[in-house]
Amino acid sequence: MRAVTEPHRPLKEVCARLVYVAIATVAAGTQALAAGTPAGTLIEGTATVDFDYGGTPFSVSSNTTVLVVAERIDVATVLQSSQQVVAGNDTDRTLLFTVTNTGNGTETYSLAIDNLLAGDDFDPVAAVPAIYFDTDASGDLTAADQAYTPGTNDPVLAADASIDVFLVNDIPAGAGNGDIGRSQLTATSTTGTGAAGTVFAGSGDGGIDAVVGTTGGQSSDVGEYIVSDIQVTIVKSQGVSDPFGGTEPLPGATITYTLAVDVIGSGTATSSVVRDPVPDYTTYVPGSLVLNGVAQSDAADADAGELDVSARPTIVVRLGDLTLADGTQTIVFQVSID
Amino acid sequence: MSALKKLFPVIGIALLATAGSLFAQDAKQIEVTTIVKKEVVTEHVDGTRTTELVAADSVVPGERVVYTISFRNVGAEPADNVVITNPIAETLKYVAGSAAGEDLEVEFSIDGGVTFGKAEALRVVTDGIERPATTLDYTHVRWVMQERLEAGSEGQASFAAVLE
Repeated sequence: MRAVTEPHRPLKEVCARLVYVAIATVAAGTQALAAGTPAGTLIEGTATVDFDYGGTPFSVSSNTTVLVVAERIDVATVLQSSQQVVAGNDTDRTLLFTVTNTGNGTETYSLAIDNLLAGDDFDPVAAVPAIYFDTDASGDLTAADQAYTPGTNDPVLAADASIDVFLVNDIPAGAGNGDIGRSQLTATSTTGTGAAGTVFAGSGDGGIDAVVGTTGGQSSDVGEYIVSDIQVTIVKSQGVSDPFGGTEPLPGATITYTLAVDVIGSGTATSSVVRDPVPDYTTYVPGSLVLNGVAQSDAADADAGELDVSARPTIVVRLGDLTLADGTQTIVFQVSID
Repeated sequence: MSALKKLFPVIGIALLATAGSLFAQDAKQIEVTTIVKKEVVTEHVDGTRTTELVAADSVVPGERVVYTISFRNVGAEPADNVVITNPIAETLKYVAGSAAGEDLEVEFSIDGGVTFGKAEALRVVTDGIERPATTLDYTHVRWVMQERLEAGSEGQASFAAVLE
């Protein structure tokens, strides 16, 4: 069973997932990764001149030129979490990001959190520690996830590799319903940053040059929390009545289900709809649907309730906009065991 | 190579110091030198951009390089059927139309240098499907001299490529 509600302000989906594709060149052999030719690759060039001289064919080679592929420093930080619905006084609410080395050599990055961003309604309060790696790749903060300590475990990423990072924040008390708070993760190359093309001679892998790419060697993304202190609860109970006057769940027995729907907190749960699928091995008892003591017709019509048979038989009750003041909404219906 | 062995002790360091190779079957009649430069684009305060070619030893993905091959007939006789061939490194993407050289016909190979043809004539067959070759298929570029190279004359061939 499921209650579909909308909080007072609509949720926004903030989700950008960047997918990196390894590109294979037509010529066999060298793989051109999305990050480019690997740093340290040597590109050699030798021209050959073939000619006839005095009637005899000859072949002469030029000098061999050598180009070293320098390391390009680049990084991309991308938010993975959608907008997180939170309540005032919540603790350890996480935002998940992916940090990817979009350069062509191995690079080390330092990570930083910033909650003092302009344009939001409240500042999330950074937990201590505030940055974690999603070590167990679960998408949730767990005991297995490792905390980040700047300078101690700065992530080291090979070209095209990425790592998942959490920002962990507490929500301040008094944050109002619908308020938004933003938290930013920044990844910075420890080799250097600057305008694209800035050269750090000899600082690349194996002593080759490192050159800052178009990202400037630094990348940030911002996650969002939205406060909603509405909670909708549903409590479901059942009573069984068998054909012999007892309470055994035998074929032919009737189960009476009662759903108690309550709104907690301030705000409005707009356009609430309760859906409860009729359980397997049972059949809905026609005409048994009741809302707050008022019988509801089984057909889809002007009243709030109906039996939806378009797919699996489901009880559907439209409760409309609910607030705390509306009190408990009680839905009752019966099924018989097949 | 026997002529070289005789030459070696006599000429020694002087031969090594000259541009060109010791590959010739006999004394070298043609000297050939390759230079590679990279394009550097500078954006000025007023918004204009200037492009210059600078000597290149290190290059990053996305940068454009220009190879220039200079050749000269240093013998006493003219050389005929002169063909300059250059392999295109796997991680370099040839810039379409960039191969140039005065009085030189440009051809490309897509089969590792076994056969050559004009750009528009090259075809690639994959799984029975034929399509025109693109710059990504090129393995070699070559320039074919249309005239003989007279004694003392020189020429230049060049092409541009972008590092993947």
